[in-house]
Amino acid sequence: MPGVIVKELTKRYGEVAAVEGLSLEVKPRELVALLGPSGCGKTTTLRVVAGFLRPEAGEIWVGDRCLSSPSAVVPPERRRMAMIFQSYALWPHMTVAQNVAYGLRFKQEVSRAERERRVREILKVVHLEGFESRYPGELSGGQQQRVAVARSLVVEPEILLLDEPLSNLDANLREEMRFEIRRLHEAFGITTLYVTHDQAEAMVISDRIAVLYRGRLVQIGTAHQLFEQPRTRFVADFIGKTNLIDGVAAAPDRVARGGLSLRVASASLKPGAAVTVSIRPHEIALAPASSPRTPGEGVNVLRGTVQRTSYLGDAIDYQVQVDGSDVVLRVAGPPPAAVRAGQEVTLTLPAAACVPLTDSD
Amino acid sequence: MDRSIPVWVAAALALVVLMALPLGWIGWVSVSSESGPTLAHYATVFQDPQLQKALWNTVVMAFWVGLASVALGAPMAWLTARTDLPGQTLIRGLIMASFVTPPFLGAFAWVMLAGPNAGLLNKLYRNLSGADDALVNIFTMPGLIFVVAIYTFPYVYIMIANTLALIASDLEEAAAILGAGRLRVAATVTLPMVAPAILSGFILAVLQALALFGSPAILALPAGFHTITTQIWSFFHYPPKVEMAAAFSIPLLLATALLLQVQKRLLGRRGYASIGGKGGRRRAIPLGLWRYPALGGCLALLACAIFLPYGVLAKAALSRAWAQPLTWDNLTLANFTFTFFEYSATQSAVLNTLELGVMTATVGAGLAALLAYVTNRRLIIGHQVLAFLALAPIVIPGVVLAVGLFIAYTRPPLLLYGTLWILFVAYVTKEMPVGYSQADATFKGVHPELEDAGRILGAGRLRVLGEITAPLARSGIIATWCFIFIGVIRELSASIILFTPATKVISVVIFDLKEEGQFGPIAVLGLFMLAMTFGTVVLMQRVLGRDFMGAKE
Ligand SMILES: Nc1ncnc2c1ncn2[C@@H]1O[C@H](COP(=O)(O)OP(=O)(O)O)[C@@H](O)[C@H]1O
Ligand SMILES: [Mg+2]
Repeated sequence: MPGVIVKELTKRYGEVAAVEGLSLEVKPRELVALLGPSGCGKTTTLRVVAGFLRPEAGEIWVGDRCLSSPSAVVPPERRRMAMIFQSYALWPHMTVAQNVAYGLRFKQEVSRAERERRVREILKVVHLEGFESRYPGELSGGQQQRVAVARSLVVEPEILLLDEPLSNLDANLREEMRFEIRRLHEAFGITTLYVTHDQAEAMVISDRIAVLYRGRLVQIGTAHQLFEQPRTRFVADFIGKTNLIDGVAAAPDRVARGGLSLRVASASLKPGAAVTVSIRPHEIALAPASSPRTPGEGVNVLRGTVQRTSYLGDAIDYQVQVDGSDVVLRVAGPPPAAVRAGQEVTLTLPAAACVPLTDSD
Repeated sequence: MDRSIPVWVAAALALVVLMALPLGWIGWVSVSSESGPTLAHYATVFQDPQLQKALWNTVVMAFWVGLASVALGAPMAWLTARTDLPGQTLIRGLIMASFVTPPFLGAFAWVMLAGPNAGLLNKLYRNLSGADDALVNIFTMPGLIFVVAIYTFPYVYIMIANTLALIASDLEEAAAILGAGRLRVAATVTLPMVAPAILSGFILAVLQALALFGSPAILALPAGFHTITTQIWSFFHYPPKVEMAAAFSIPLLLATALLLQVQKRLLGRRGYASIGGKGGRRRAIPLGLWRYPALGGCLALLACAIFLPYGVLAKAALSRAWAQPLTWDNLTLANFTFTFFEYSATQSAVLNTLELGVMTATVGAGLAALLAYVTNRRLIIGHQVLAFLALAPIVIPGVVLAVGLFIAYTRPPLLLYGTLWILFVAYVTKEMPVGYSQADATFKGVHPELEDAGRILGAGRLRVLGEITAPLARSGIIATWCFIFIGVIRELSASIILFTPATKVISVVIFDLKEEGQFGPIAVLGLFMLAMTFGTVVLMQRVLGRDFMGAKE
């Protein structure tokens, strides 16, 4: 089972680069999500990998085969890949069984009987036994989705590509299908590139997430790494909620903004450089100003005034105006509300939770 | 190298030859003489007062046809798209019938209805009033405009009805809630939104009128005046003055191209008309007391376009003397036997027409499908040029196209004149825009991901084309075939210049019969032509599962 290597990929439409200098490795049996807002070049990347588009620069490697380069592109039908499309792309004039069997017809080694057996088997895997002779138009959205999955898995591809496969489903079904896709990935172990704009989806499904922004890869890592150690403002903001404070490095481990000065989780800042600090709302501890406080090592303690509190059911969202500063911090705390709007509070921010973002964007 | 590329390139080349050859020759012949390049032909053409008159007549006719078509088409579109007018299906059906009725048949019918002496309406009038003179004379400019307009207004109707269908009534109701009265809503909200459609419908109608040959030939020539198309045709009378015809074609060509450009601009900015469209429910505006008068008005117009002409054709087909009352003595099937078994030209003309219809529709639909596929999937560089070329013949009126083909194919290397092939080439060229638009819409409806899905699972491009795209596009392509077939069997304006005695088609025979004053056989052939047309329409509706004029219901 080979992996995929994308090397310095650039794809332009006319003058505009949809993807620029993108490098990425999907290890064998790994599922990597391409995550980013709409228009950032995810589909384009996937379609270059699939061989539908010719890159202007860069190469696509699968195992030891170079499949795409500006001078030569192996056509999609000879790449041993499968792809699941946003529109499912089921052929309305073929039954479920004919749809699923289509790819097997091009495998000489699979006999007709074997083909039928495999189709039955894969339909069982996606819980669609008995639907063989239906037409796609007679299926619900979720069932169509499963047919698309079955059609791709039955050919036992080396690489599986998915382009926002869940975006046409309603919310409940979408959640269910996330786990289903993860389950199938674990069962079949196919090297997979999964495109989505939904960070929660990416976090549930993938081994690693590659965040794209304006055609470039900004960061790649596990969900945990991206959440805890975002390298850019964009990643910090896109993955989960966060507070972003623009300031200037005052010391190798301090960032200042006006009267506010924070110890951050780094000791190698260049004093004078512009730095944005990201602090997750749930990392901040909030207590009434009157309660005793114990400022320990590596902890920032701030005073502030609660501007408003919002009840979110499983959490309380506080907006706290930090004293002597223009910064308003969002703090997430467990219900019930510890303080009310207008009250003075003390905020405790571990330095380890104050992540300096040094990359631009 | 993709093995499918030669196929695309061949289709592209066929198109270039089809378009470039006739137009190139027209341009060249119009400026060349034995002693080198010259503008003498243009000078002759534009200084001749008689030709100036023909130009002016054409402008007058086209303009008034445009106006009349809007005056007829716009209200009917509003009535059928927006109100609780009774009998909407019937009215839509009849408008469709008028859309596919060959205008020259309508013109013949109206000669029998409103000719100054024998015209049935005039006789009725004289009987009723005891007067001596005619009530109406169809052999006049207003008569011509009338007869052309009743078969041209469906273009405006379709344009506006489809636009109205896209505008959700929410938009109008939003204005009504803000306190605007019904008329005010129509004037401030609805009208501005359909204004581009009205204008472009007007232009479309003008274009139809400009290119028309049959109706002016039947009505204007006896009235003693020419239009551009009849004038160009008369240049081919012995001795043919091809250079003059070429020079006189150029203004018509330019005018058409210009108008189309304007229309494209208008439609390009129409985007907002559809914005509110999706999912907006439409509620019918109650007409109240006006329901039946409105219905009466619509039916009166459609009587002029359908009932009266069809009726008089049927009467003429079945009677010994068409102008006499339809008594037992006057009743006969002789016209049918004469037309199909005795009149020498008919049988071969019917065969020629069918042969050309089937051939053109098959090759045309195939070529259009290939081209539309290439342009939709951007398979070769320069695909935009192909789309442009496929639509380009729209600017070439049939008569002008015929002039170009006549010049191009009466000389080596391709001596096609005198064979059916020259008609075939003319028809394929002329029908290409219609065919291409149909095929284009068809492929736009086939999501490219359906093909991609086949590719990635292991099917090559041609296999995907055959196993996935073709089945999905089939009904659209059959409809394209039908459109082209209907267009071919009624074609007159190019045929009338390109035919030779051995290569007559039905429309040409009808025209010949007119010279001989044989109204019975004309009616028989006319009805035959209508039967073929409506048969094809029915087939097409079946295949498409909806009426072909409109946006999907
Ligand atoms: N066929 C195309 N022609 C021109 N521009 C395109 C085409 N396809 C995509 N683009 C542009 O390339 C960029 C990336 O598109 P895409 O890869 O589809 O984004 P995503 O899938 O992340 O939403 C967008 O700005 C889009 O407008
Ligand atoms: Mg996309």
